Amino acid sequence: MAEKKKPDKSERGEKTLIRDISFCGVPENGSNASMVDVKNGKILRIRPMRYDWKYDPEKDMNPWKMKVRGKTFEPSMKTLIPPYSIAYKKRVYSPARVRYPLMRVDFDPNGERNPQNRGVSKYKRISWDYALDVITSEMNRIKEKYGPTSLLYQCDQHGENKVVQACHGAGRKLLRQWGGFTLQIRQPDSWEGWWWGSKHFWGCEPVGQGMQSNLLYDISKNTELLLFWGCDQETTPWGWQGQLPSRFSYWWSELGIKQIYVCPDLNYAAAVHADRWIPVLPNTDAALYLAITYHWFKNGTYDKEYLESHAVGVDKYEAYVMGEEDGVAKTPEWAAPKCGVPARIIRALAEEWASKRTTVVIGNGGPGIRGPYATEPARLQGICLAMQGLGKPGANQAKMIEWGLFDKPDQYAQPKPLRVPYLRKAYTGGHPDESNHPSFIPKTYVPKAILEGKCDWYGCESETANRANQFVHYKYPADGCSKIHMVWTDSPSWITCWNSGNDYVRAMRHPDIEFMFAQHPWLENDALMADIILPVNTKLEEDDIGADIFSGQYNLLFPEHKCVDPLGESKTDYEIACMIAERLGLLEEYTGGKSIPDLIKYGWETSRCEDLISWEDLNEKGYYVVPTADGWEDVPAGFYNFYKDPEKYPLTTPTGKLEFEATGLAEHFPDDLERPAVPKWVAKGISHEETLETERGRKYPLLVVSNHPRWSVHSQHEDITWLREIETCKVTGPDGYQYHPVWLHPSVAEKRGIQDGDIVSIFNERGTVLAGAYITERIMPDAVYIDHGAKWDPIVPGEIDRGGAINTIVPRNTTSKNAVGHAVSGFLVDIEKTDLEALKRKYPEAFKRPFHPCAGPGLESCITGGE
Amino acid sequence: MAKWIFIIDVEKCEDCNNCFLACKDEHVGNDWPKYSVAQPTHGQRWINIFSKERGQYPMVDVAYRPTPCMHCDNAPCIAAAKDNSVYKRKDGIVLIDPVKAKGRHDLVKACPYGVIWWNEEKEVAQKCSFCAHLLDNGWKTPRCVQVCPTGALEVMLCEEDKIRELIETNDLRVLHPEYDTVPRVYYKNLYRFDRCFIAGSVAVEKEGIVDCAEGATAVLYSDQAESQEITTDCFGDFKFDNLPPNSGEYKIEITYQNYSPVRTAISLKESLNLGVMTV
Repeated sequence: MAEKKKPDKSERGEKTLIRDISFCGVPENGSNASMVDVKNGKILRIRPMRYDWKYDPEKDMNPWKMKVRGKTFEPSMKTLIPPYSIAYKKRVYSPARVRYPLMRVDFDPNGERNPQNRGVSKYKRISWDYALDVITSEMNRIKEKYGPTSLLYQCDQHGENKVVQACHGAGRKLLRQWGGFTLQIRQPDSWEGWWWGSKHFWGCEPVGQGMQSNLLYDISKNTELLLFWGCDQETTPWGWQGQLPSRFSYWWSELGIKQIYVCPDLNYAAAVHADRWIPVLPNTDAALYLAITYHWFKNGTYDKEYLESHAVGVDKYEAYVMGEEDGVAKTPEWAAPKCGVPARIIRALAEEWASKRTTVVIGNGGPGIRGPYATEPARLQGICLAMQGLGKPGANQAKMIEWGLFDKPDQYAQPKPLRVPYLRKAYTGGHPDESNHPSFIPKTYVPKAILEGKCDWYGCESETANRANQFVHYKYPADGCSKIHMVWTDSPSWITCWNSGNDYVRAMRHPDIEFMFAQHPWLENDALMADIILPVNTKLEEDDIGADIFSGQYNLLFPEHKCVDPLGESKTDYEIACMIAERLGLLEEYTGGKSIPDLIKYGWETSRCEDLISWEDLNEKGYYVVPTADGWEDVPAGFYNFYKDPEKYPLTTPTGKLEFEATGLAEHFPDDLERPAVPKWVAKGISHEETLETERGRKYPLLVVSNHPRWSVHSQHEDITWLREIETCKVTGPDGYQYHPVWLHPSVAEKRGIQDGDIVSIFNERGTVLAGAYITERIMPDAVYIDHGAKWDPIVPGEIDRGGAINTIVPRNTTSKNAVGHAVSGFLVDIEKTDLEALKRKYPEAFKRPFHPCAGPGLESCITGGE
Repeated sequence: MAKWIFIIDVEKCEDCNNCFLACKDEHVGNDWPKYSVAQPTHGQRWINIFSKERGQYPMVDVAYRPTPCMHCDNAPCIAAAKDNSVYKRKDGIVLIDPVKAKGRHDLVKACPYGVIWWNEEKEVAQKCSFCAHLLDNGWKTPRCVQVCPTGALEVMLCEEDKIRELIETNDLRVLHPEYDTVPRVYYKNLYRFDRCFIAGSVAVEKEGIVDCAEGATAVLYSDQAESQEITTDCFGDFKFDNLPPNSGEYKIEITYQNYSPVRTAISLKESLNLGVMTV
């Protein structure tokens, strides 16, 4: 399989460069190492990186092998990169690339600002000088008038993985030096239920997902049944991990380990790996877990002894489940109409689980964990695992993504590497670990803060804050701080990724927001709300240093060389922060006198691998492969230590045990009905009414399941036009526009007179989103599937979207009253066939906007006067 | 002499489209003189992934069939070209000469597999070149195979007797053998795509409670083949797979403990989930 090319490549003007082409946007989460062949200043091809290009595997890499049940599994000698990396050339040269600074035509910093036109107005080209003049004079003006905390800095969430060129947050250090700011905190998304719920059950800081060490080996050796619960490992890991999860899934089937998929949709993994699909209505998993435990309590088919030594509050939980608390026994017959799983299947699943060594597999962002009250299914899943002896060989909660998250050894599901390359020290962006006093707002509360002028909440000081922080009360504006009057964003994907994007649109059009500027490589989503847009280049246009640590195969460290020159007048995010610093007179202080090459070398010096490979060798070879650690087989798997000896290896909960009744919640929020101390089925509450059994459920009778997207990474890659040729990526309407697909069961479609390929309106009281009907047996009746992240293309900003940005109409309220996660799946809508002609007559301007037939809305529709 | 063959395992394809995209990455905007002219930006699918959704909720699966040029040994496109503008190399690869074949729109129709595409702008018929420009330059695989993460796509240089052995041991099949073109692309587990299943769930009612009937016996009878027997799993499920579509009348009989057997008859067209059958 070795693809070694003849040595005449340089004669042909070709060179091969190694790049991390992944999309987490956080320096320690690099992956998807790729080889970029460049010819005559253009990207020729992007292909998998080969570990053995310059190294001898046996001599240099200490290759790992899993030999179990008579079979052997080995990592591939190539990186298993996802489709986005291979097609990334198209993102670099996208028709939506911003190549020059742009300003909204009806924004005049010295006159009318017209905030009400944000999202509608066109843009004109301006010079870098003028753009920076306006930005820095606006910064100084609002600082003088309101104080520095009137500047909201949005610099979180995902993006291209960059280290010294910091995709997000290069301004954090600068703004501190400038005098302060208000930080938007990315509250932990895709982990909502675990972060706000499971941490109160089993600790597991900082995310709340179970301990992962060596679980891939443990499953292969010991597990008899795998329950993939809202997990799509053929989708979610792609952006910042690659496709080793796919290979493991095939291998586990070869080993005879049964795979059951519990999810409303036959997702992409279930479609090819499932031995059984158990469809569950979106965000009703709590009812299913409760009924499973009812069956176990009733029949005594659980590990009582384990619970006695490892858990607290079991009696309170049992009383609730058996109906002693509220008079309602949580039987399979009770759960069936709520969750859509027949009672007989619930009993069979409960018995199968109790009789086999079972690992539950999760994959972030699944349909069971991002909905209203996500804390409840998350904790109840943990309770199920606990009742079957969590931590015994083959019985854990395994993740198919982010193996090695936050540099934590207990998150290494794959064979342990000798070292984990570490680039955080050279990172020029903002790091989530920072304390964020005095002024911050959880990302979910940004619209509320601006539209209502004040708000308060608990916790979320940072996305890695510990459990105790969830009991700290905060408010906006913070004492002595200002309201927000200016917004700087380098991560403009709020509308299509967060809670109730339509509220965000309204907030950014609020007259309080006197100035908003964005820096981004592409004109998309929130960038369309900005008064000034600065052009950023893609990572293939920059020098940097990278590491691949999430692949699960081998860890890599490599300097990254520029593949092509920056397009137009684009700059790196870090260079932009430097230019602003220079105008503010802070350049020397900001850079500490370090140049980009200095920072890159500093990256190696502080990489933890500097004693393993010299700077010279690293540059000569182009990369370094970290060998597998000796004895990786003996690393205790998952919760094994706790299972063996809970006194010696306590959890980080207040009692050190699994808390069926959460001590901290009972103490701090004794009256909270939405996140009670003992987890419950919550059909509705003061924050949400998003279940079919409620009054609202009769008005909007369909539940949306919204996973992480298959053909984009959140909002990234919507303009890779080749992806749009894939059947499940887009649905081309009669008007030639590529609509985002919504999956409908034939019975749902038939009832509404909808045919496959029709354009439909998905709506509730929060707005309307257009989509293309994809009629399939892969979605259960009463549920519809549409993934998030589609490029926002407003027909009426804040009300109707053509692009398919479903997050514009997700709940505006957070996970629950005291948990400020977002709730973006498992919510109510109805759907009807769209009368496109009528809509065109009503909104002629919106439909007249040109769109790229293969890339959706882009520059053509937004720019006036040419570039 | 050894010639290239392509082996595609339908069961190992999860539709990531790496192959489809790598093909575009290699050929869109890139001329490979003597081998191929650049693919247009959109529309051509030199490796085309067809999908097949089988069954009805909740017994559904999906299979994907990547479909490149078959590089036939008895290639109708070569016959249609007449003038060597389409030719077979000694290593088995079929190439369209981009210069000689200019204007030959008829070549598109010559292929019964529909894998030849027309480039309007360049006025030339185009198709998968097996990335011969790379193989001739020392590469061991075409781009599509190199990027496949699961091993669903594989190529090898093979002698004829080795091919026969592979066909035998892996139950390999070609698409449309009736076309008689002797394709060099072989499929493994093709039944997942072109055959169907009959499935169902057996339930039993005892004292007003409905449960899954594990261990029930499901027997499938047909006029064309021997009867098949399956024991239901813990969910009471049974699934008879690898049945030809539109294969006529079948009878299914379910027996469980001392309960009266349940029988049903169907006419099989496509994969069918019979739903819950209560004994």
